[in-house]
Amino acid sequence: MIDLRSVSRIYRRGADEVHALERVSLHIPAARFVALMGPSGSGKSTLLNILAGLDRPSDGEVVVAGQRLNDLDEDELAAFRARHVGFVFQFFNLIPVLSALENVELPLLLTHLGKAERRERAATALRIVGLAERAGHSPGQLSGGEQQRVAIARALVSDPEIIVADEPTGDLDAKNAEDTLALLRTLKQEFGKTVVMVTHDPRAEKYVDLVHHLDKGVLFETREGGAAAAGGQP
Amino acid sequence: MALPLSYSVRSLFARRLRTGLTVGVISLVVVATTLFLGLLSSLQRTLRTTGSERNLIVMRKGSSNDGSSQLQLAAFQDIRFFEGVARDAAGNPMVSPELVVQPFFRRKDGGRENVLVRGVEPAPALAVHDEVRIVEGRMFEPSSGEVVVGRGVAGRYEGAQLGQTLEFGRGRWQVVGVFESGGDSFESEVWADVRELANDAKRPFPYSSLRLAVAKGADRDALVRRIDDDPRHALEAQPEPAYYAKQAESANTLYVLVVGLAVLAGIGAVFGATNTLYAAVQARTAEIGTLRAIGFSRASILVSFLVESLLTALVGFAVGGSLAWLLGLLVSWALGGVGFGAATFTTSVIQIRVGAGDLGAALVLSLAVGLLGGFFPARRAARLRPVEALREA
Amino acid sequence: MIRFLPLIWRNLGRNKVRSSLTGAAIALAIALVCVLRTMPAGLDNFLSTLAKNTRISVHNEAGIVYPLPYSYLQKVRSVPGVVEATTWTWFGGAFEEEKGVTFPNFAVDAETIGAVYEDLGIAPEQLETFRRQRDATLVGRLTLQKYGWKIGDRITLKSTVFPVDLELQIVGEIPAAVDPRAWLQREYLSQALEAQGVSFDLVNMIWARVDDADRVNEVMRTIDELFRNSEAETASETEKSFFGNLFGNLQGFVTVILMVTGMVTLCIVFIAANTASMSIRERVGEIAVMKALGFRWRALFGMLVLEAALLATLAGAAGTVITLGLAQALKSVAGFSPQLGPLASFVVTNAMLVEGLFLACFIGIVSGLVPAFGASRRSVAATLREIF
Repeated sequence: MIDLRSVSRIYRRGADEVHALERVSLHIPAARFVALMGPSGSGKSTLLNILAGLDRPSDGEVVVAGQRLNDLDEDELAAFRARHVGFVFQFFNLIPVLSALENVELPLLLTHLGKAERRERAATALRIVGLAERAGHSPGQLSGGEQQRVAIARALVSDPEIIVADEPTGDLDAKNAEDTLALLRTLKQEFGKTVVMVTHDPRAEKYVDLVHHLDKGVLFETREGGAAAAGGQP
Repeated sequence: MALPLSYSVRSLFARRLRTGLTVGVISLVVVATTLFLGLLSSLQRTLRTTGSERNLIVMRKGSSNDGSSQLQLAAFQDIRFFEGVARDAAGNPMVSPELVVQPFFRRKDGGRENVLVRGVEPAPALAVHDEVRIVEGRMFEPSSGEVVVGRGVAGRYEGAQLGQTLEFGRGRWQVVGVFESGGDSFESEVWADVRELANDAKRPFPYSSLRLAVAKGADRDALVRRIDDDPRHALEAQPEPAYYAKQAESANTLYVLVVGLAVLAGIGAVFGATNTLYAAVQARTAEIGTLRAIGFSRASILVSFLVESLLTALVGFAVGGSLAWLLGLLVSWALGGVGFGAATFTTSVIQIRVGAGDLGAALVLSLAVGLLGGFFPARRAARLRPVEALREA
Repeated sequence: MIRFLPLIWRNLGRNKVRSSLTGAAIALAIALVCVLRTMPAGLDNFLSTLAKNTRISVHNEAGIVYPLPYSYLQKVRSVPGVVEATTWTWFGGAFEEEKGVTFPNFAVDAETIGAVYEDLGIAPEQLETFRRQRDATLVGRLTLQKYGWKIGDRITLKSTVFPVDLELQIVGEIPAAVDPRAWLQREYLSQALEAQGVSFDLVNMIWARVDDADRVNEVMRTIDELFRNSEAETASETEKSFFGNLFGNLQGFVTVILMVTGMVTLCIVFIAANTASMSIRERVGEIAVMKALGFRWRALFGMLVLEAALLATLAGAAGTVITLGLAQALKSVAGFSPQLGPLASFVVTNAMLVEGLFLACFIGIVSGLVPAFGASRRSVAATLREIF
């Protein structure tokens, strides 16, 4: 599903050159739950952004869902993301002026679906994450855990192959963190999504199939996660 | 592929103070511009709608207005029978000999103004000036010391109401009627008996000008040429609308002034609007990053922010336009019209009326402010790189 | 507070785009306010310079368009208290026919005009030439500047009232006149009219100079008495009153201008307030930190208000520069127009510029008060909790 071949990413900060990634090669098959871990500055977020089509590599090849991302321009990348990638962020990143339902509906606006169908799909997604009765609430009226669940519903609603999560539990308490990780696991287990997660959270290892460790822009270790070992359930 | 309108609208509402202040700036600019434009277009309208296509005004060669012209009796008697001059039902030529004088009148609030008093013969005058209608009282009787006044005069000067006595020139005159003529400059005039007026003003020549109606189907140009070329009297004729259009040109400098001021004010408003939208973009950087991550194109972000700017401008227009309309009515009511010394030394009484054209111009101004003000911030929003924008979260 | 000035200045530079945009908007608005102010001020100025002299106008009671017999001049001259009297007759000459009358021009009594108008500062040699040379004309400085005429130039004026065109030579300028009037010789006009078989023994107005300011009312009464019950009864009034009435119908216009000026001022307040609230809102966290560090809320309040005031004042200064340029441009386009008279003279005084600056500063202070107060009084703990 996701193929990175010798990908490097160099960018400028002021007068310095930062080598965020150094010739990283990675293959993530479909329907896997994968964690990218490592210390601050290891390049894990950069890697995530590149495979999600949010950033371009300075060198190397990126093939996702059968599409070579190197060839795509800004607008084509946007279209790619709309079809193939769902996003979950550390700070939830919901649009404050839209209701929960409208937030979930957002990715569907990029499709050709009519209003009624969009609403229905969004409602379904909310049901999946267990927040159907909160559809009309604005983000400000939801707790942290609820907001993250809405975000996951939003990531799910247009049925992308890949879900990308950047520190999804970073801003949550223990209970909500576990619930979120379990929910992400469900996405892989029941919906066959490929879920790639960047995280610091040690709890995450129990839920994932594979853990890739990075440091200083280099991929140096890959371990099996708890879920693989336990055959699917932590 | 576009962001919904509700997103733009609600984002505006979320920052009520900022949006409100920006709307305030735009609406004030709209009010100021519209009021001035309303004043000017009322002036133009008054001057431009005066006069009938059917009529000619005949003055001495070289006169720029009928107040400074002189015309002899012989000229009048000749022209009456020129070919092309219309005749009324009784077969009389429709030619109105007129004497124009500008005496002092005292305003109700104490000031003093020159007012155009037109000496006419009742029947020919009403026949030729077909847009003039007596709406209150009656037309004056010749040689009776009576006058009729235009609607604009009636409310503005001492003794000018129906039934009262006007003092001007060397005498006292009884106001026996009020006339209207569709809001044009005749309504700023007083009409009196031409012979009485000539006597009062001690004019050597009885008349200053003639107005005549051209017969239907007649060759107007031939008639004009005949009058112009007549060797006995140095006269020239022109259609009434052309004559009044020339008077209206005197307001052109003012237009330049007002438009210039409006543009400046508009530029100031653009800066204000740009500021507000930049702040909004800055505050919503993470939001923009999220939208871009989800897959919304740069164009959709650009359009969405431009729409926000345009909406602000439109609300500003709505508020400002209504306020201007109300203020126009208020000022007109409180001041009884705005006096304006046109190219002649007389006073035209203008009611400030904010018309569709004025509001249209204000709308264009508002939209320009919205578009220009929103352009750069919207472009900045669209150009944000998703990765960097998200980092601001 | 002064030692905080570098900090305040640095804060303004924090968001250069915002500060520049705000500054530009305020500068433009101040310029507008100043320019608009010159309009009624031009009128007041014009009238107040006239208040200082002892000239009176004698015109037909019925209106200035009604004439007076020329013979009245002698009678007025012999009234006790009258130093000298002269006549004015509206010539209504157009320099460029299509544009009509662009400056007032009169046929005057060349012999006596100088004595009545001593205060205008016309060079004595020029007056002398005007008296001797039949086709001479004295032109107001504003008109000379507008058309780029020099002394010695010949011009032709086509009268819109009399059936004559007169060719004239400019022999001098009228420097102190606030209106751009031009004078030509009555004798010259009279001769031209006689050549056409038209007799000319009327005048529009008589202007007389009274020797003593306290006697003005008395002299005016005497003159009017002289001509009561005669063919043309007169009404005398001071020069200031005369022009006040002449431009009296501009009152409505002035009201509209004042209203608009008020609105533009309000605009400035809104723009400044908007910027102040935006920039302070963004720094709420910083302000809380400063309070935690030990800054007193009064000091913070003062700094924030000073910041808004500084920006507005600098913008106001830029605005005054724009005003000068703008007024100059407008003067060349409009000048003393027949409709607007002295309203359109666009003369900017130093006092006006200083007032504009103070207005900007005042608005800056006012606009910063509310947001600064709110920010500096916020509870530190609450703020820090929110931010971090």
